[in-house]
Parts: sequence; C-alpha cells; structure tokens
Amino acid sequence: MGVFTPCVLLSPHSQTGHGVKFGTKHAVSEPQDRLIMIPAMFGFSLGISETYMNILVRTLEWATLNIQQANAEEEKVNASASNGLIQRENRSMEKELEELRRSRPKPPVGGDFTFSDCFYFTRRGIESIVDDEVTQRFTSEELVSWNLLTRTNDFQYISLKMTLVYGLGIFVRYCILAPLRITLVCIGLTWLVIGTSAVGFLPNCRVKFWLSEWVHVMCYRICARGLSATICYHNRENKPKKGGICVANHTSPIDIVILCNDGCYAMVGQVHGGLMGIVQRAMVRSCPHVWFERSEMKDRHLVTKRLKDHVNDKTKLPILIFPEGTCINNTSVMMFKKGSFEIGATIYPVAIKYDPKFGDAFWNSSKYSMVSYLLRMMTSWALVCNVWYLPAMHQQEGEDAVNFANRVKSAIAHQGGLVDLQWDGGLKRAKVKDTFKEQQQKKYSSMVVGDDSSSNSD
Amino acid sequence: MGTLQSSPAPTEYCDLSEKTGFSFEQIAVLHKRFKQLSHDEDVLRRDHFSEIPDLASNPIRAEIIEAFFDQRNFSKNGKGKVEEIGFEEFLVVMSHFRPPSQHMTNEQRENVRKEKLRFLFNMHDTDNDGTITLEEYRHVVEELLSRSGALEKETAKSIADAAMLEVASISVGHMEPDEFYEGITFDHFLKLLAGFEIDSKMSIHFLNMDTITLCK
Repeated sequence: MGVFTPCVLLSPHSQTGHGVKFGTKHAVSEPQDRLIMIPAMFGFSLGISETYMNILVRTLEWATLNIQQANAEEEKVNASASNGLIQRENRSMEKELEELRRSRPKPPVGGDFTFSDCFYFTRRGIESIVDDEVTQRFTSEELVSWNLLTRTNDFQYISLKMTLVYGLGIFVRYCILAPLRITLVCIGLTWLVIGTSAVGFLPNCRVKFWLSEWVHVMCYRICARGLSATICYHNRENKPKKGGICVANHTSPIDIVILCNDGCYAMVGQVHGGLMGIVQRAMVRSCPHVWFERSEMKDRHLVTKRLKDHVNDKTKLPILIFPEGTCINNTSVMMFKKGSFEIGATIYPVAIKYDPKFGDAFWNSSKYSMVSYLLRMMTSWALVCNVWYLPAMHQQEGEDAVNFANRVKSAIAHQGGLVDLQWDGGLKRAKVKDTFKEQQQKKYSSMVVGDDSSSNSD
Repeated sequence: MGTLQSSPAPTEYCDLSEKTGFSFEQIAVLHKRFKQLSHDEDVLRRDHFSEIPDLASNPIRAEIIEAFFDQRNFSKNGKGKVEEIGFEEFLVVMSHFRPPSQHMTNEQRENVRKEKLRFLFNMHDTDNDGTITLEEYRHVVEELLSRSGALEKETAKSIADAAMLEVASISVGHMEPDEFYEGITFDHFLKLLAGFEIDSKMSIHFLNMDTITLCK
C-alpha cells in the first residue's frame, strides 16, 4: 500500500531533501491541498511533515530549557509521576488494626471491638478523598513542562522571547494549520463516502476487495494528515489477520484513524443518525462492518452471535474492538469487558500511546462535545503516537473470559507503559456497586467475630 | 503529575496557610484536587464525594462525608450542617489530618491532639447533643460489620452493648444496678483514648513536602 516513511520522534531527522519548505505554506488554497493530499493517498511523504516536526521538536525543547532555567533559583517541588500526592500505608487491614489496638488491653468481656478501629477506616477514607487511582484517569494527563499551548498552562510570563514564540504559535495553529486541516478532513470524509459507495456497485470479486481496502486506507491517511499525525508502528509482523479480533486501549475516537492507517478493519458499533449514519451506511456497502441497532445492543446473545459469524467467515476483515468501553486518558488501562473475549477467536492486542507534548488526544466526553474536541485536535501542534502490535493470544484451556481479558490487558499495559487498573471505566458515569463496601465489611467482621467466638457472652 | 510552577502565592493562600497550618505547596495540591472533585465548580456537594470509587468501598463513608459538611468542624462554635462547602471549609476539615510538625511545644501538641479527637467525636455524635449514645454507638458497629447476613443483627447488637459496657466501666467506674449510662461525653472520650497515639495514626503524609512554611 505504498511506503510510509519512518517516523520522527523526538530526534532530529535528516530531511528527504525535497524542495518544499514549511515556510511557503499559505492558508487554504487549492494547489497546496493537492500537494498534501496526493502523497497522503499514496502513502509517501514530500518531507513537509518531517520539516514541520523537526521545527516543532526543537522549539519545544528550547521552551522547556527556558522554563527550567527561569525556575532554577526557586525550590521546585516535583511530585513523582507514579504515585500521587500522599504516602499511603499499604499494609493490610489486619496489621493496621493490630497496631491500633496495641495500646489498649483486650477487653475481658464482649466482642473484640474497640472504638479505635474506626480510626483506621476514617484515615483510609480521608486518604482516598485526597488522592485516588481512578478519578484522575478521567481528566487529561498533566504535562511535565509546558508545551506552548494555552490550554495546558496557567500562563506565567517567562521572557519576551517565549511570549513571542507562544504568540507565533497561536497564529500558526489557528490561522494556518487549522483551516488546512479542517479542509483535509472534510475532503477525506467525502472521499470515503463517495469511494465506498462507488466500490459497492461492483460485483463481489477480488478487485472489489482490493479497491475497497485501498479506498478505506487512503481516506484514513488523508484524515491522519488532517490531524498532522505522526504514527510509529512497531512489530508489524504481528498485525491482525482475517478472522481475528483486534483489541486496543481507548483514548479517543481518533484511535480508529490511527489504527486504520495501517490496515483494514471491520468496525463494530451502534447505528447513528445524521452524518455518522451516512458514513456508516456508505462504508458497509464496500465491505462488511458490524453495525447494531440500539435495541440489538442490549441482547448480548445476539451481539455475540453476530460477532462469531463475522469472525468465522475467513474472508472478512478482523474486527476492531475497544473493550474498555469508554475513553480513558492514556495513562492507564482499565477493566476490559469480557464480551469480546468469550467469542473464542484469536485476539490480537494492540497498544496505543500518545505523546502528550504535542497535543492531548484524550476525549473528555463530559467536558467537550465531539465537535469541540475535533477542533481542539486540529489546533494542537500535532498528534504523535506509538502503536505496538503484540503477538496473538488465545484463550487457554480452563481459562475463563475474565481472566483472559485481564491477561490481555496486562500485556497491553506493559507494552504501552500504562498503569494496569482493575477498576471499570464505566465509573466515569456510574457509581461503585455496593458489593465493594460489603467486601470491606465482611473482612472486618470476620476479624471481630472470629476472635469473639470464644469470649462472647450472649 | 506536573511541576508546580512557582507562581506568586495568592494572598488567600497566605491566610489559609496561617489558618490551617498547611504549606503553600500543600494548599496548591489540595486546591487542584478540590477542582478535580468538584468538576471545576466553586463548591463541593455530597454527591461529588460519592463519585470516588475508593471511598465508596469504605464502610463508614457516610460519616466521613458528613464530617465535611458539619459546621462544628469549621469553627469552635459552629452548629448544624450545610449543603455545600467551599475550598476554605474543605481545607479546614483536612487540616485535622495535618501531619505532625517537629517544632511544636507540648501545649500545642496537646491542642492538636484534642482537635483531632474532637473531630472524631463529632463524626459519631450525629445528633449533636454532646454525647455518643448507645444508639449512635450501635450504629457505628453495624456500619463496620457486615449487613449481608454473615453477622446477624442480634450479634452486632450484643457486641455493641458489650463494648459500651466496657466504656462505661472505664469512664464512670462502678455503677449502681439501676443507674443509667447516658452516653460517652467528650471528657469520657478523652479519658478512653488517653494513651492513644493519635498523632501518627491520624495524619496524612504528603510526598516530598518538607517543613511547613508560613507566610511572614
């Protein structure tokens, strides 16, 4: 499908030597569009993106250095990236309660309950109010140093040069890049609809198949250029094959564009109305995707059956599923829903990690609507991410779906350098079930009553 | 986590620091957390607290959350409950869990200790009559022990009664058969927990933040 040039990531890259320079780009005009679009369609680059990324990386490094110098005199507080705000005693409940009680003699009569036991729970409660593992995953990751975007800093004056660069950055991003990108994405989507509908008219044959793949990948490539995306694919020998299911961690809807730049997948999702609906209907004309009506989504057996049928048909493309079910902020991987792991197909795990320096890819759906999110994406510097294809995994003998899902999740988290959490991503919107509270109560009561059995007087 | 850029501390931080004893960095960190919990609003409500999954699995979360809205914890003479709190009240409640400082006189240490115990007492004295009655005590025991059937109500009740008896015997000494024990007053509470190492057990340790700096 054409050559995709190796990516530029945080290191100077030798230019490909073509004469087109970044500086000559103007705001939207036809010839410039074609200059970007045509190479995008065919998968090679004229060197524009590389130059841009080069300049961008150097600018950000310079900015970081400046900020650090300006702050060098002050005593800076650098909270460690992994832990958080407070130091927790991670000893078990039993040990802590034992310590609490040491100062008090064991009562001669009655249960082994003392008021001081509450203190342990009180302290744990306050600790979780100050800092907990889950709530922070639903807001954007904090950056180690400012990346010259307004949205990531409470603006603080450092030096005139910085402010000038910052101002120039705003101008470039909003007046030059954004219109260009929006146009590209519109072109990409239109082409997707037209192209897939056109291909749909052909009879089923190998040519149709090849054309359909070509149209899909081309459109996604245009969209990726529309976001100034630089993607680095690792371990491409593990790419998902037909008849399998591809699972990945979910950060935003752009994940789909990222993955589909390098191959064709069958999508799974709900049927939407409006623009999305048009796109969905067009796509399904050229190759089979799995779209569900809203009512069908509730019927788990129906969903499983349709997925199974798709997977068993070896001519159909691998299915792309995001088992977390919701967008997480790319610092961790949350609980995988077991539905996709019960089908019995080969699972191809994929880890996606965005570099937050160039733009925050996380879609906080409670804060931003889809449109404002896309606009934010188009006014960031760029989108840089790494995609790792992991070796295929199968469900082992006697392993149930939940354990299998956890195994896959750990592999993805490990590869992407993300934190592996057991909590459900659905907690973004829903509350924790009461069963968790009851677990703690059971544990504590077994401690109290267990000791009590010999000395309780009824 | 990000670096805390050393912007000049707003004057409110200065007042808060003096009032609660936290350093500027600690206040900034807690402010960020406040904004995160309140979804960028200026006030926190009870349902904001219920969204924290870790807290949800805590058996006495209701009391802990109530403690944040209890005016007795905001100032010495406060009474009653409020529906929403601002950052200042949040900080004041948190200051009860301030880590112990090295440079404190014995009297200051005693005061801090009393404050912490007062906070815990208020948490369980839900009707604000100055005593923890048998009913309130039973409530605590029931909350901590399982309701799901592993422990019957009767057993929980008897454990609470027995513990209460113990408390009575410690505070009041020997009681006549028909004497009625009203409940644990604050003084009894203090007596009960006389030898208790509350300073270290009831504080939150912030990472990497050293001495408490107060504004001049």
